[in-house]
Amino acid sequence: MNLLVSEGSQPPALFALEDGTHFCGRACGAVGEAFGEVVFNTSMVGYQEIVTDPSYAGQIVTLTYPQVGNYGVSDAVMQSGGTALRGLVVRDLCHTPSNWQSEGSLPDFLRDHGVVAIEGVDTRALTLRIRSTGAMRAAISTTDLDPESLVARVATSPAISTHNFVADVSPREERVIPASPDALRARKEAGRPVLRVVAYDCGEKRGIEEGLAAVGCEVVTVPFDTPAARVRSLDPDGVFFSNGPGDPRQVTQTARAAEDLLGTLPVFGICLGNQIMALAAGARIEKLPFGHHGGNEPVMNLLTRRVEITAQNHNYGLVFESMGPLVPELSGGEVVHVRDLRHWVERGITPVVQTPHLGRVRLTHVNLNDGTPEGIQFLDIPAFSVQYHPEACPGPHDARYLFASFVRLMDAWGCRCGGEPCVSPDYLAIDAREGRPHHAEA
Amino acid sequence: MPRRDDLHKILILGSGPIVIGQACEFDYSGTQACQALRRAGYEVVLVNSNPATIMTDPETADRTYVEPITVDAVTSVIERERPDALLPNMGGQTALNCAVALGEAGVLEHFGVEVIGCDLDSIRIGEDREQFAAAMRDIGLEVATSGFAHTLDEARTIADELGYPVVVRPSFTLGGAGGGIAHSEQELNQIAGQGLALSPTTEVLVEESIEGWKEIEMEVMRDSAGNGIVICSIENLDPMGVHTGDSITVAPAQTLSDNELQRLRNYSLACLERVGVATGGSNVQFAVNPTDGRVIVIEMNPRVSRSSALASKATGFPIAKAAALLAVGYTLDEIVNDITRVTPACFEPSLDYCVVKVPRFTFEKFKGTSEVLTTRMKSVGEVMAIGRTFEEALQKALRSLEDGHAGLGADGATAFDEERFDELVALPTPERIFYVAEALRRGWSVHRVAEATGIDPWFLHRIADIVAAEPAIRGLGLEGMDRAHLLAAKQLGFSDAQIAWLCGSTEEVIRAVRKVLGVIPQVKTIDTCAGEFAAQTNYHYLTYEAGGATEHVAAARPRAVILSAGPNRIGQGIEFDYCCVHAAYALRDRGYETVMVNCNPETVSTDYDTSDRLYFEPLTFEDVMNVIEIERPEGVIVTLGGQTPIKLARQLEEAGVPLMGTRSDAIDLAEDRDRFSALLDRLGVAYPPSSVAATAEEAQQVARTIGYPLIVRPSYVLGGRGMAIVYGPDELASYMAEAARVTPDHPVYLDAFLEDAIELDVDALCDGTSCHVGAVLEHIEECGIHSGDSACCYPPFSLSDVLAGKVRDVTRALALACGIRGLLNVQYAVKDEQVFVIELNPRASRTVPFSSKASGVPLAKLAARVMAGEALSDLPLPPEGREVVYFAVKEAVMPWARFPGSDVRLGPEMKSTGEVMGVGASFPVAYAKTREAIDYEMPAEGTVFISVRDADKRAIAPVAFSLARMGYRILATRGTAKTLRAAGIACEVTKRVGEGHPNVHDVLAGGGVSFIINTPHGHDSRGDGAILRAEAVSRGITNVTTLSGATALLQALAVLRGGRLPVCALQDLAPRRQESA
Repeated sequence: MNLLVSEGSQPPALFALEDGTHFCGRACGAVGEAFGEVVFNTSMVGYQEIVTDPSYAGQIVTLTYPQVGNYGVSDAVMQSGGTALRGLVVRDLCHTPSNWQSEGSLPDFLRDHGVVAIEGVDTRALTLRIRSTGAMRAAISTTDLDPESLVARVATSPAISTHNFVADVSPREERVIPASPDALRARKEAGRPVLRVVAYDCGEKRGIEEGLAAVGCEVVTVPFDTPAARVRSLDPDGVFFSNGPGDPRQVTQTARAAEDLLGTLPVFGICLGNQIMALAAGARIEKLPFGHHGGNEPVMNLLTRRVEITAQNHNYGLVFESMGPLVPELSGGEVVHVRDLRHWVERGITPVVQTPHLGRVRLTHVNLNDGTPEGIQFLDIPAFSVQYHPEACPGPHDARYLFASFVRLMDAWGCRCGGEPCVSPDYLAIDAREGRPHHAEA
Repeated sequence: MPRRDDLHKILILGSGPIVIGQACEFDYSGTQACQALRRAGYEVVLVNSNPATIMTDPETADRTYVEPITVDAVTSVIERERPDALLPNMGGQTALNCAVALGEAGVLEHFGVEVIGCDLDSIRIGEDREQFAAAMRDIGLEVATSGFAHTLDEARTIADELGYPVVVRPSFTLGGAGGGIAHSEQELNQIAGQGLALSPTTEVLVEESIEGWKEIEMEVMRDSAGNGIVICSIENLDPMGVHTGDSITVAPAQTLSDNELQRLRNYSLACLERVGVATGGSNVQFAVNPTDGRVIVIEMNPRVSRSSALASKATGFPIAKAAALLAVGYTLDEIVNDITRVTPACFEPSLDYCVVKVPRFTFEKFKGTSEVLTTRMKSVGEVMAIGRTFEEALQKALRSLEDGHAGLGADGATAFDEERFDELVALPTPERIFYVAEALRRGWSVHRVAEATGIDPWFLHRIADIVAAEPAIRGLGLEGMDRAHLLAAKQLGFSDAQIAWLCGSTEEVIRAVRKVLGVIPQVKTIDTCAGEFAAQTNYHYLTYEAGGATEHVAAARPRAVILSAGPNRIGQGIEFDYCCVHAAYALRDRGYETVMVNCNPETVSTDYDTSDRLYFEPLTFEDVMNVIEIERPEGVIVTLGGQTPIKLARQLEEAGVPLMGTRSDAIDLAEDRDRFSALLDRLGVAYPPSSVAATAEEAQQVARTIGYPLIVRPSYVLGGRGMAIVYGPDELASYMAEAARVTPDHPVYLDAFLEDAIELDVDALCDGTSCHVGAVLEHIEECGIHSGDSACCYPPFSLSDVLAGKVRDVTRALALACGIRGLLNVQYAVKDEQVFVIELNPRASRTVPFSSKASGVPLAKLAARVMAGEALSDLPLPPEGREVVYFAVKEAVMPWARFPGSDVRLGPEMKSTGEVMGVGASFPVAYAKTREAIDYEMPAEGTVFISVRDADKRAIAPVAFSLARMGYRILATRGTAKTLRAAGIACEVTKRVGEGHPNVHDVLAGGGVSFIINTPHGHDSRGDGAILRAEAVSRGITNVTTLSGATALLQALAVLRGGRLPVCALQDLAPRRQESA
């Protein structure tokens, strides 16, 4: 809301970064203070999905699109029961939204959920600063309006990597999400049983659960520190490792469970789940300068050579070369790793590495913007994972096919027609076009 | 997939002349395509009849044919050039239609030309409503359901199936007459009954009503690998019911949730696949029900379009360029994003700003036509504005329109019609946005305005916020205005002029206060990625943010700022943008950092590639000064962008801005009647007697001294706006009564009108010490027809060398005496071998692109070099009076069919939207090509109806005689028939409209006339002639309203009987020119 319109109704607020930069604005959510790591998200819509995404625990999010809250909020798009982010920084927040699905305004929602928020900030200038400096510690305050003081306090606040945020957002209880009736019916008609997936809920987005349910999976979510034995006792057809906040290296319990489960059951991981599986395979994790947060990241599926426009939200990523040496006969004869994985895109090669104890892993997905790894597939055990978000929420639906890929994998693993699981590694080779829900209907 | 090596030569079709609905956006896209393909190593052949385009510059393509985009002409080009492929999706519907016709005629197959970019079948599916509907149902998408009814019973049955309300559209009635929305059976009986009666085929279309739904466009691209991306979503502020070209539109979409948008994205991509768009850009339009989110597909265009040009400018993603590369085999991931240069084009742009497009209308030129906006497009141009918020962008767009508004009101610019106020809030008209704001100002609730207009409440709330800020600003006043509040006002998009109006101050004072308070705009960059990657291009807009972070990087080289022409309108179109683009090219070559300022998204000048720096900003004093103060240029060019920048010249100079070229005093000298007359007297140059009058009485007095007929016009106008020829005191009185409204602050000019004089247009170049006359153009129509509406010919076809030499001498004397540095244009009337100066424009004229192409001398480029200080003697100029062995004709294109109810006639007020050029070995050949290029029917046989005014009776006989010799039957009104029979020409007589039946109108309506020669009398705009002309327009019958035009047409008809006209490339004219020089 503009100052000339709001006049007096919004208390002043201050936003400060650890590098000393500060922005004055007006409070537009809860009053108080919030400290966290600031990241920018370039999605133009989907603010409610972002605000309720548990992966943002510990972070202050700024949205690059300047006018936020236009279509209000609605229960249907919640990605979790509430909010996990520390604070929100926007240029202009809409107090009078309009949409047939709107059940309230975003500023009211933020206030109700205790999210400290500031508007009136030059979010583009902020974004450019984050781009050049990297993700930084920051704070929003409606109580400490002295820039020098707030900057000083930011400088002494803890870094995000020192805390296990997954423990904060992972629910303590198991939950069961039934498969969608339509998908169940379709599976029944095809003579296929319902699949049970146990999902490690490290801050799982509802969109993922809906994505799994939509392809005929009954999802049982379990806390992040659930031992593998408990998972096995649930007799699942597959295991899923979800997205979640913070540094994956802090989430040791889940990584241990992954080590235990990988190779025994079909496994799929998204985002943090991808990092945890990579850690289990012995990979190194690195922190990207400012991460990928948005809905327009181009990713090539090296198996189909189709480009998917993907939703992403991560600050950490695996280092592909750290997973092991290249297997030259499966990597176009190449023996030397390159950091920029677009090399493989250009060469038309799907490189394969030999991991210390989980067999061969191939690179299946590459980010075309910066050449980072976006997806891997284990060739000797039934497992694959992606760094991005096939459920989108918010973002394009191009990668939805990955849920179908997981079903293919589980079906093949469960099928013992020849006595052995008949997994063929082409289960990921699904055209992005088929992933878009519309296409599936037609 | 890399580029295709099996193709070498590619034929690109342009879109022909600028018409309503198909404007210079296709020059932008076609130019991009030519450049991209040539850079990729292909040889490019281009056909386009529009000379005022960058794409038809001889440097843009390898082979440039300024020829009609017809099957005949393009076949000739194919025969000569033997291209491997045809790229038809860059030239709008014209190019697509021509491609389909070439395919159907078997030409493509015969010459082995492959259609690339889209196949002919997909064009047909996109075009044919039934096929398209079936295809969409195939993939599970809804289309508006409808059915044809031939009786009331059938209509009722269809309506019952659809459910009320329904839209009734009678078939084949003019401008959709007789249609409407029926909310009940009772209303249906009435509307459909009327519609069936009006329809010549007794047929109405009964369609499910989606009026009032949200209208959303998706700009989509697809490559041969099957990758699909959405470049931009565009939301119409005006709901369904108003053509998207006539709607205020906003990018990105503002009121849709992620779910809703992703659904549209999925639908769009599926639509492209189903229709079969192999590669390239397409536009898919949807209607979204605001109450339940239901989605209906309206249409899709399998080509680049006006919307894709807008989307390109709005996002920085060059759709046309990418589409051209996709057509030759590249995939999206193989094309580099120009702006970041490190990421691929296979992504979806993220915007961190809001873009608003507002259409520009010129209803004032078409009196009698309804201003209500419908599904038939009527706007002639558009502006785009960029802001960090919708509010800011909307206000910037409205002040970019140059129609007197300083923003969304708060400027004293709108007089509201109190009697029809409620109606004008509800009715979509060009003024509606101001009525909406005013209604909110007057206390209407957002809900009430939303109910009345169907505009989404989100937009109305934003407008309500703007309006709510007005009393706040007024309350603060200049004294109470602190930094935070002034910044807040600027963030809502208020111009200094609006703030001044609200605070009772002046724009200059507000500007000064702003600077003192430190409220100055910051430079932001359009980077396609919302800041995620560094931008390598300087595509900017200005906005106001707290904190003062600017992205401006000082240039090392000296800057030259070029002010372009703003929105296209009748009288100021693409020609001026053309000149500015040339200046940018020339000055970049001379080592300048070129800085373009413009707000027209359709143009080449607003391509981020054209200049070193682009500021997408309004061309007001405030906005231009902001750019100048940031860039601190060595000079600013104001004489190439038409009236828009010229109007700023004095103010800029007073603000200490260095102008490049002609100074504001020279501009004033040419435009101030008294000073200019004194100059002409001093030089001993003749001009028609003239005078000035400030009141009606004074005008009558002056008229008696000069004598009738008179040309009257308000001072400082463009395109002859408000100009008329009056034949007596009564007409003068009624003109004066109306003229006072046009420009209240300026007097009216009265000039003696030289009847039957030959008019000349001269474009010349002057460096202050010498002058080069680039081209003398002879008009086909006599004096009194606006030069912009008149056909003209290079070289003059009836002027003696002596007279031509004299005209050049006078031009030279005038240019030097005025102190012109750059381009000038002089209009002359030649009567009885006497040369009269009608006016001098100290700037680039509308004819510069034509003159440049016809003469082979790039006048605008050379002008820029002169303005940058070079002497004419250093420039490569051919001798002036050289003989050329070809003729080039320019003909104007009229928009009559878009404005039913207005009088169809040429006069001193310009009404044409565009132009075409024809080149041939003789004048008739060149002229015939222009007729074909405009797509006029040129019937080789049939009946010609002739009715001329008394003054033309003597001269009509030879025309009619030739027509009769060519085998045409002649039908005439009684008076004309008498003359013809006296000359021994057989003809039939028909009754006038008022004389009972069957009369000429009946004959016309019965389809019995091939073309019409009807020269109007001075003031019969409501009489017989007007009725006939309107009927001719509605039936697409060629109608010639001047005798000189009739003569030219006759010659063209004779030429066309000889078969297909030979084509020639511009590149081949150059050597011929040298041979003859």
